Amino acid sequence: MNIAAPTNIIDLGMLADEARRQRHGTRTTFVRVADVASTPGAALAWSPAAGELRIVGTPSSRSAAVERVREVAAGARGVPVSAFSLADLEQLAARESATLRSILEELRAAGLDLVAEAPFDQLRDPRGSIEEVNISGLALARLTIHQLPSAEVPSLLKEVADLQRRVAVVRAFAPLPRVLNSALPTTGYDDVKRVALARLIVENVPSIQVDWARYGPKLAQVALTVGADDVDGVSAEDETTEGRRRAPLEEIRRNIRAAGQEPVERNGRFEPLVR
Amino acid sequence: MTIDRIADRVRAAERLNAADALDLYRRAPTALLGQLADIVRARKHPDPVVTYIIDRNVNYTNVCVAKCNFCAFYRPVGSPEGYVLGFDELFRKIDETIAVGGVQLLLQGGHNPDLPLTWYEDLFRAIKERYPSFKLHALSPPEVIHLSRLSQLPVPAVIDRLIAAGLDSIPGGGAEILVDRVRALLHCDGKATANEWLGVMRDAHRAGLRTTATMMYGTVETDEERLEHLLRLRALQDETGGFTAFITWSYQPDHTELAGHEATGIEYLRTLAVARIVLDNFDNVQASWVTQGGKVGQLSLAYGANDMGSVMIEENVVRAAGASYCMDEVEIVRNIEDAGFLAKRRDMQYRILGDPMFREREVPRMLELATARADGDHSTPAELRLYPARSGAGKKMRAGEILPS
Ligand code: SF4
Repeated sequence: MNIAAPTNIIDLGMLADEARRQRHGTRTTFVRVADVASTPGAALAWSPAAGELRIVGTPSSRSAAVERVREVAAGARGVPVSAFSLADLEQLAARESATLRSILEELRAAGLDLVAEAPFDQLRDPRGSIEEVNISGLALARLTIHQLPSAEVPSLLKEVADLQRRVAVVRAFAPLPRVLNSALPTTGYDDVKRVALARLIVENVPSIQVDWARYGPKLAQVALTVGADDVDGVSAEDETTEGRRRAPLEEIRRNIRAAGQEPVERNGRFEPLVR
Repeated sequence: MTIDRIADRVRAAERLNAADALDLYRRAPTALLGQLADIVRARKHPDPVVTYIIDRNVNYTNVCVAKCNFCAFYRPVGSPEGYVLGFDELFRKIDETIAVGGVQLLLQGGHNPDLPLTWYEDLFRAIKERYPSFKLHALSPPEVIHLSRLSQLPVPAVIDRLIAAGLDSIPGGGAEILVDRVRALLHCDGKATANEWLGVMRDAHRAGLRTTATMMYGTVETDEERLEHLLRLRALQDETGGFTAFITWSYQPDHTELAGHEATGIEYLRTLAVARIVLDNFDNVQASWVTQGGKVGQLSLAYGANDMGSVMIEENVVRAAGASYCMDEVEIVRNIEDAGFLAKRRDMQYRILGDPMFREREVPRMLELATARADGDHSTPAELRLYPARSGAGKKMRAGEILPS
């Protein structure tokens, strides 16, 4: 695609929306995620509504990581278990003088289904490490961007597309940065451009993903109209509890429909859920 | 008529009727609405300038007898959480506003039966005496009607007295949806029917005041009723030309009696765009970042808005209902410029005052909007004793039975 084409944000969004519709029609998937602490022995409680159990945090050691995966997987009852950042696992391997493959295989044997995220701009060896995930029999839940100045967006997106050409296993790409700078937040225009350009440039990754919890319903919904087709990070807690403005399931479905699309709940393996 | 044909009519600067506007609102793709709204905006504002105002949004009292069921802000008469700001508190707020380059107060409040017209007149005069060039954008139409009822004076007479005391312009609050079926369901027909709201604005325009117009959507109204609201505003603007700007926002449901859920961000952008297209005789359309957040607030500039509203400094009403976004001048200007526009400060009449204030002199950053009062401050201003109260609770307080804390 000619990325220099539209400078007008609406025209750019329309192009990306067209690309998204060719691939997904009006179908928008979302996953309800239960975050679980990474410390072995920590509480093991999550909502039965979760479509993915995600172990969050940096593992303190290989044995702690394996232990925690074993604990969570034992109670998962078929819900896919994801854990850790691939960048953290690269570092863990270096720290413990182990191969990344051996760690991934051990996590797999303990019950892990997916590596929770691969932050492209933090990986030492994006291609090698993602291939190791695949060879170990695991899947990658999402390719992410940790932090990214606006000026570098198009060139980085081309690198992401190149990476996928080589590894071909990335199912979802989340182009909005994971680290939010509250003193200098990205703007709405920034976010829309990133999502739209991601859909147009990273043509070979099936899903462009937006994080519901991190970006909030309003921006996430707009993202669905400019190229995104998948929503990550919807809370699995279905009660309207204190501090939460709306029941998440009702809210996500309403927002997707109000964007003119059809909501489809999925699990961490991208399998549609019928509830 | 097909959407393409209606779109062509907008491109040709033809006025839309209710049926065409409804079709467009319901069926046009969101991006097309944005494109059309942007065409109308660019027609009215060929220079790539987006304006904003530095003013402070102050709510002088939260005591209200109107009891609208969508409102999380008001407290009934006699409530321990009820407050009235004192003149000195308001002067302090004005000093703080001037310190960050502010030029006016947006002053609105509940319908407090214990504040007679003379309280407002004395307040306005005192402000103008201390701050002669500072502007008062104050008292939405339902407040004016409340004062008319309280003082037993016709609305034009109340407006004349307020102008004589220092009122500069009237904000368009309290419009909600200008359809009486909706107003009855929202329990706000008592404070002002649709015709009464429009009547105050007509009287204000005739008295030489400029005003704004608003629409709060997303409660119980239909799409047709949203458009009826817009068409009624358009008709009055044809008649008087007195509206400077239109502002729309979504109902904020938290802690309200009506409850329910908030309309989504896409619904906001669609509503904003259709308003820009339908209100072809309004020069200015504001983005409501305070209800939509900075990101959708900024995206409003691609959907017909040419103004980022106010830096606000203070906010109480929307916060009470669950939204708490903050943008100071630096952040507003960053968002305007990031969207490709020049940022200019303005006054209520949309006259350009200059470039961003923080580029001319040091202005403290503001990362959170202030509130009317600090939590737990239930003090009663001393000067209130000078004014007769109407309510039993107010009378007791003024007789000294309830002492100011
Ligand atoms: S919206 Fe205004 S008039 Fe209605 S209850 Fe709230 S403060 Fe009173």
